[in-house]
Amino acid sequence: MPHTVVDASTETVMLLCEGIEMSFGGVPVLKGVDLRLRPGTVTALAGENGAGKSTLMKIASGQYKPDAGEVRVLGEILPAGNTKAANERGVAIVPQELASIPELTVYENLFIGREIRTPLGTLNRRAMIAEARKALGEFGLTIDPTVQVSTLPVGVRQIIEIVKATSRGARVLLLDEPTSAIAEREVARLAAVVHNLREQGVAVLFTTHKMEEIRAMADRVVVLRDGKLITDSALSDITDDGIVTAMIGRELENLFPDLGAHSDDIVLAVDELVVAPGAQPISFSVRRGEILGLAGLVGAGRTELIECIYGIRKAVSGTVTVSGHALRPGRPGSSIAQHVAIVPEDRKGAGAVLSMSILDNATLPRIAAFSHLGVITERKRKSAIGETMRSMRLKSNGLGQHMENLSGGNQQKVVLGRWLTGTVDTLLLDEPTRGVDVGARSEIYRIIVELAAQGMAVVMASSDMPEILSLAHRALVMREFGVAGELTRTQLAAPDVQDTIFRLASGLDASTASLTEEPNA
Amino acid sequence: MSTTTADVVSTQDSRSWGSLIGDFLIRHIMIVVMLLIVAFFAYRSARFATPDNLLTILIAAAPFALIALGQTLVILTGGIDLSVGSVIAASAMAAAWSAKSFGDNPVYPLIAAVLAGLIAGAVNGFVVARLNVPPFIATLGMLTLASGVAYVIGGGAPINGLPDSYGMWANTGVGGLTIPVILMIVAILAFAFIMRRTTYGLRVYAIGGNRLAAEIAGVRSRSILFSVYAISGLLAGLSGLMLSSRVITGAPNLGQGYELDAIAAVVIGGASLMGGRGTVWGTAIGLLLIQTINNGLDLLLVPAYWQNVIKGVIIVAAVTVDVWAAKRRK
Repeated sequence: MPHTVVDASTETVMLLCEGIEMSFGGVPVLKGVDLRLRPGTVTALAGENGAGKSTLMKIASGQYKPDAGEVRVLGEILPAGNTKAANERGVAIVPQELASIPELTVYENLFIGREIRTPLGTLNRRAMIAEARKALGEFGLTIDPTVQVSTLPVGVRQIIEIVKATSRGARVLLLDEPTSAIAEREVARLAAVVHNLREQGVAVLFTTHKMEEIRAMADRVVVLRDGKLITDSALSDITDDGIVTAMIGRELENLFPDLGAHSDDIVLAVDELVVAPGAQPISFSVRRGEILGLAGLVGAGRTELIECIYGIRKAVSGTVTVSGHALRPGRPGSSIAQHVAIVPEDRKGAGAVLSMSILDNATLPRIAAFSHLGVITERKRKSAIGETMRSMRLKSNGLGQHMENLSGGNQQKVVLGRWLTGTVDTLLLDEPTRGVDVGARSEIYRIIVELAAQGMAVVMASSDMPEILSLAHRALVMREFGVAGELTRTQLAAPDVQDTIFRLASGLDASTASLTEEPNA
Repeated sequence: MSTTTADVVSTQDSRSWGSLIGDFLIRHIMIVVMLLIVAFFAYRSARFATPDNLLTILIAAAPFALIALGQTLVILTGGIDLSVGSVIAASAMAAAWSAKSFGDNPVYPLIAAVLAGLIAGAVNGFVVARLNVPPFIATLGMLTLASGVAYVIGGGAPINGLPDSYGMWANTGVGGLTIPVILMIVAILAFAFIMRRTTYGLRVYAIGGNRLAAEIAGVRSRSILFSVYAISGLLAGLSGLMLSSRVITGAPNLGQGYELDAIAAVVIGGASLMGGRGTVWGTAIGLLLIQTINNGLDLLLVPAYWQNVIKGVIIVAAVTVDVWAAKRRK
């Protein structure tokens, strides 16, 4: 893997997109976009979902043929609609849905399609392992190339994909939402890898809608809105507010609404709940109108705790009571009967049935209310669900639209809104804004706060620190399937609170915390 | 939401009739394929497009329709039922045995066939839903087991010399429509209603589309899974009764390979073997398509082995066209 330092003169343009136009089914997605990537630069491509980021990425990497305009790599025209030609010219893309094969080992993944062979034509595993170790080492990764990829955390898998692309000679690397699936602490490692690439003279372009990542990784930010390039600025010349305003096209005074007051009336009581064998028992209660945040690192057990409360997962021991009624473990139906609602972390895997319509998805949890003797009463469900979805400001082509054709934010509105056609006393939210763009995110925050104000007890697990700090009346920090600490509203407002949370979550002193590897639990 | 709805309506209004018809054809591509096949046979054979022949097609289709409906439910959950052919044989043998043992009353074979089918289906359902055995394996086991049972009941031989009342189930009817044909029509209408309009239907689609999400929304996936295999078995039992009643014999090799035609009908009807997608109407069309081809090739005196070759090609071609049309729809 020869990495010569490329002369980072401002004259060379690694990748040039000129006058790119593209529309799908008559709807224009890109309306004449120009973009230049120079060697040794990291460019953030920011914009809300639907702004055209992914489409631009796919055109730049040769997957789509634009309606107008052209892509040049080092001055040479890239034949459109030809991924292989793009690869040969050194343009590689790491897609949002990771392309690694989990059952194969790290080195097998790195060499798939260009295996090293012995003179007899059989696989030369020893040479591949040695090469793989060398390639990983260049990025400061000390993982064993012979381990199975499925045993590694998502963030490491992603870096392996990046190593795979660059070890095949990529000079332009396109990363589509590289941080959407990884934990905060893994972002730091990704940033280090990206900076390493910059030093090697690679031109990096990544899409994102998170401000922290733009600041951590990029040296230039390009904002797309409605298919047009709104802003192209050196990072040092633009403020966070400036980027957000460019993304959403209006001032976003208040991402987080003000929290309402809560009563002393206990709704949800968790008593001595042991989430995993050997874990510390967890006890807490949530009052009417209160939002309880659950912070912690990936694998700390937040999702497992929420699943145990809801009853989709059986706890080792302990009880959960809602308004005085004990829930039956393993029976989500009993939780629904006690007016418990859940918005799972994995929207596509656990929240929605993507092959069904909005209407059918929203019918499922309240099916008894929308049927008589087993026959669905069309009119009743259409009016109730239609009204709820209007109040959620859902953007769709109607209730018959299939979930798979909605954006992430709108899918999330359905997954949350489907509960609101009936009474909800306890609302369990697991990463409620994952993969949701800024505009829809502020709406979801507004809805959460409104629901709490109406008297729901809300439990919200989040890896997004600002969410915990701004949206919770109280927060529990989890570690190893137990509670490592509790923070009050006053403590959450303290300036050094992020440091406190990190110390609790990692179980280490923050100053000595290292980004060493540990497999996902 | 209202503004977006308005946008969509207006774009549709401004489109030409030509593109609307094109859209309809793409959406219902199997109907087009069906019409082409019907036109071809009608052109080549004078006997094809007659009321008598239509009835022949329907009579031949009826036993397949029952198992194809059961198969539709199973496939919608993301499973498969390979055992229905053998369950037909076992149920037919059970029916014939009961008629021979208990006397001249057509109710005995009905009860025996339904019970045999239901038990086989319930065992499939238990093994799949409770013991978490992959459906392919569970029903492959039942395929062999039920076939064995069919031979055991008859001691390795067919059961002949049945009372005349045994033939009542397949051979009585009103205005040329025999019981199996009426049963087929009622069953198709009933399942179309169940799958579109009832909570049960919605739940079947939901666990096939995403089992975890359905469970989180309160669906008891195990009981639904159990039920679809039980229903599939029960319908195979009825199908076995109809087939053996037609010839007033219990034959242990009855229904052999029928599961494949049933699966083909469901898949031609646009269902996904991954579950969650498919309709009862689609299955009905797929079923009629296969039966029409069988009938037409018979009328054209195509030798039986060649019929299989042609049918195989048409099945794959039909689904290929459907995959192409599905892409165009997006």
